[in-house]
Amino acid sequence: MNDMDSVAHKKAFERIKTAREALANCNLCPRQCGVDRTAGEKGYCGLDDTIRCFRELVYYGEESELIPSHQIHFAGCNLRCEFCVVSEWNEEPSAAEEINFDDTAKKISERQSQGAKTLNLLGGEPAVNLHGVLELLSRLDSGIRVVWNSNMYYNDIVDKLMAGLVDVYLADFKCGNNNCAEVLLGARNYIEVVKHNILNAVKNADVIIRHVVIPGHSKCCLKPTFEWLAAEIPDVKLSLRGNYVPPVSATSAPKEYLKPDDMQCAVELAGNMRLKLVK
Amino acid sequence: MKNKHYKRKPGDFEIRILNSGKVIMITPDEALMEIARVVEPNNCALPPQMEIKDVGRPTSKTN
Repeated sequence: MNDMDSVAHKKAFERIKTAREALANCNLCPRQCGVDRTAGEKGYCGLDDTIRCFRELVYYGEESELIPSHQIHFAGCNLRCEFCVVSEWNEEPSAAEEINFDDTAKKISERQSQGAKTLNLLGGEPAVNLHGVLELLSRLDSGIRVVWNSNMYYNDIVDKLMAGLVDVYLADFKCGNNNCAEVLLGARNYIEVVKHNILNAVKNADVIIRHVVIPGHSKCCLKPTFEWLAAEIPDVKLSLRGNYVPPVSATSAPKEYLKPDDMQCAVELAGNMRLKLVK
Repeated sequence: MKNKHYKRKPGDFEIRILNSGKVIMITPDEALMEIARVVEPNNCALPPQMEIKDVGRPTSKTN
């Protein structure tokens, strides 16, 4: 674990240039838009090279080993999950304020002194804000556990430039098959990409797989996800989230809330497969 | 009542009151979480009272 030590700061600083260069023909994620974000062009995520933050706060609702967790929400995302609870910021990231890295770095120190145990980089999606994440990490002057709270739908360059800078990958595994992923998340080849990135993450740092239990998606999503975890990375930590919020104007996402029985069944299934549940 | 659902815009907050009486605050900021803590002081997802002092105001325009 690096806890953002001085070596990690240096690494982050050295990688900013590479991350910025990648924006000129943006292929950070499997969308491979190829736009020149440095020239103001925007691809699927709606971002040019300006880094925007729509919220920062100390949050107590994350997994117990991470809290209190200082969340930095970067605007913009490369998925369009129909049930996203911050979709307004992903669809319109330019509505968020441009980040001031120095001020935010100071804020991180303040939050640490107020008790924050982890720095939680999320969004939107941190991967499509890669150069901003590195800018921020390079400015930190105190050790803090860095949490990469990501949808894991990104290309290898992200993994390469974040290697050694992350203490905990809080990795979403949202759907168990590509059909559901395409319909619910708007993502192609989701399964292959996410599995690849999770397996890489496991090699580099602590990993918590996060799966939001979606009503009616037990057989198609939850079970295949569990089966893969049990077969490939049985010792990984698994966090089951029962906080699915049905979108008001859903076309494909379930319109009902999760029932207590659904969650209980999910927990039992995880237990039967000897998965390592964390709260 | 309008037939068309309201779509959240950046800066909006959404609070739902379900038939069961359960109140859901969707991705609240700190100010909204403080209100939630008063309404439901035993919810472990909310900041304990003793630790919310002097947190300052979030800097984004949502607040």
